Amino acid sequence: MPDLLTVENLRQLFGGRNPTQAVDDVSFRLPAEPAIVSLVGESGSGKSTIARIILGLLKPTAGRVLYQGVDILTPDRKWNRRFRSEVQAVFQDPYSVYNPVYKAERVLKLVIRKFGLAKTKADAQEQMEEALRAVDLRPEEVLDRHPHQLSGGQRQRLMLARVYLMRPRLIVADEPVSMIDAGMRASFLNILGDFRDRHGISTLFITHDLSTAMYLGGEIIVLYQGRIMEQGETQTVMRSPLHPYAQLLISSIPTPDPRRRWREDLSAAPLAEISAIVADRANRHRCLFADRCPQVMDRCWEARPALLAPKDPGASHARREVACYLYD
Amino acid sequence: MPALLEIRGLSAGLRGRRSVTPVVSDVDLDVQAGEILGVVGESGCGKSTLAAAIMRLLVPPQVLQSGSMNFRLADGSYDLAQLPARELRQLRWRQLSYIPQGSMNSLNPVLRVERQMTDTLLQHGLTKAEAHKRSVAALELVNLEPKILESYPHELSGGMRQRVIIAAAVSMRPALIVADELTTALDVVTQRQILQELAAIRDELGATIILITHDMGVVAQIADRVAVMYAGKIAELGTVNGIFEAPLHPYSQGLIGSIPRESGQRVEGLPGEAPSPWKYPGGCRFHPRCPEVFAPCNERIPALLPQKPERRVACHLYDAEVAADA
Repeated sequence: MPDLLTVENLRQLFGGRNPTQAVDDVSFRLPAEPAIVSLVGESGSGKSTIARIILGLLKPTAGRVLYQGVDILTPDRKWNRRFRSEVQAVFQDPYSVYNPVYKAERVLKLVIRKFGLAKTKADAQEQMEEALRAVDLRPEEVLDRHPHQLSGGQRQRLMLARVYLMRPRLIVADEPVSMIDAGMRASFLNILGDFRDRHGISTLFITHDLSTAMYLGGEIIVLYQGRIMEQGETQTVMRSPLHPYAQLLISSIPTPDPRRRWREDLSAAPLAEISAIVADRANRHRCLFADRCPQVMDRCWEARPALLAPKDPGASHARREVACYLYD
Repeated sequence: MPALLEIRGLSAGLRGRRSVTPVVSDVDLDVQAGEILGVVGESGCGKSTLAAAIMRLLVPPQVLQSGSMNFRLADGSYDLAQLPARELRQLRWRQLSYIPQGSMNSLNPVLRVERQMTDTLLQHGLTKAEAHKRSVAALELVNLEPKILESYPHELSGGMRQRVIIAAAVSMRPALIVADELTTALDVVTQRQILQELAAIRDELGATIILITHDMGVVAQIADRVAVMYAGKIAELGTVNGIFEAPLHPYSQGLIGSIPRESGQRVEGLPGEAPSPWKYPGGCRFHPRCPEVFAPCNERIPALLPQKPERRVACHLYDAEVAADA
């Protein structure tokens, strides 16, 4: 069985004469079995660009995306229609995706009508109610309301209900919880877990918030300036990150536990952003983290480290890969 | 030791045609000199209104309804709630600084950083040379080089712009800094650096900081004490260690319990939604969502009473008098 999603050597340049390389030779895959894969990185790491390419909203400069073994840019109307229904997006802003004029039920009805999901009105009603139950919303709570009468958490779950109606194989969720209140985040993430376990729906979860990726489990891909620095099982990577960038990122999570405060004081550390600006942006034939890396070596400036399984057998793990000379 | 800022019975709301909708109701809060006090709550709980009220920077239709805010300085006490605008102007920036939410995006794009930083200093009577010196010193506190003064905002990253804002806010060495969602839009590494810089500023200047945030992680990492707000009122107040170890108010328990941590340890979100100010329920405002609701909760407003050492809770569960009645 082919992988659900295969991303091959994706490259994206923005801008003309002096282009920014937003995505730099990124490859990864989502297996055929239901899975959650988190794509994490800071702003500018290219994670949203990758999402847009996978959704077919942006044509990559180079590389390709295969859905069940078929290039997503295949000019076949029937195949495209299938792709459009089996791969669904959830975006960051639960406010701007709604038309404020219409009631909430319209986002569900529209899907049912456009994709001919129901034969009768009663059937449509039943499907809507089932979809809402799947995302822990009570139909009477939302259907008759306008978007402004719903909370951010409710709106984002309503988007999931809409997605559920389509019974997709894959959800591409770009920062779906960053605008929801902390108290509601867990319930949204639980739904993604339920979708995988009960309905066989995979999720590509894109976030800058590592604690949500940690909670979701599955696998994680850590991006930095458009490149994959490390990937592997989420638990393993979060517990013992190998790449110095992943180590810095993970140790900087504000853990909600005052007994586990940040140990090292970074307040007097050289500013990452300044060095990033000073550093030669055009020279990407090096480790991109070299200018910030506490363990930098001469090699790091000379060539780009490949993404490889770490040599150290103690650290190796199924599908664990790191792009760092320390482990080469 | 008397508190640096003593807030009593503070209420602020939104003026409508007929009545004022309460946003912050009857808040009592002591801010101790030299501490970092975190104020946390979900969106709409009134934490930003509280911050603006302390600064007396409420914008219509927001109104300050009642209460006192006693601000104790070496040269005397001022009630910020009553202080005439002219005297308030003298205190702001010099003793009382405000970093509003999203202010890093409010730098003027056509002026260099220097002009924007020294503007306020000149208003407070400093000479140009003094203002320049102060700005350089303030930038140093946030790890920025003096050459930043020559830059335009678009040449700086988000983290650098936020640092410029912090530097401007501390350039007069104020006694109290109120920072609203200081690091919300920033990456985790930058967030960590800026929060650690803020703690260093507190140590170096002996300043007091009120940190308004929705992020329990930020509070746990950097604050000394925390005030948990719900629906315009303080539900619980205590040390960070105390509240994270043993939250007493059912809302604090829910808030801390609903934080996603490890995978495999499923947590449930808080049931229901926080009410908007137009729909604040009577009695304890948390009672419709409270798992431990009992007889007096829908009628009596719980007072913020001292419990164990260094803890105050507004919940009938811990009020011996109410328990005796019920």
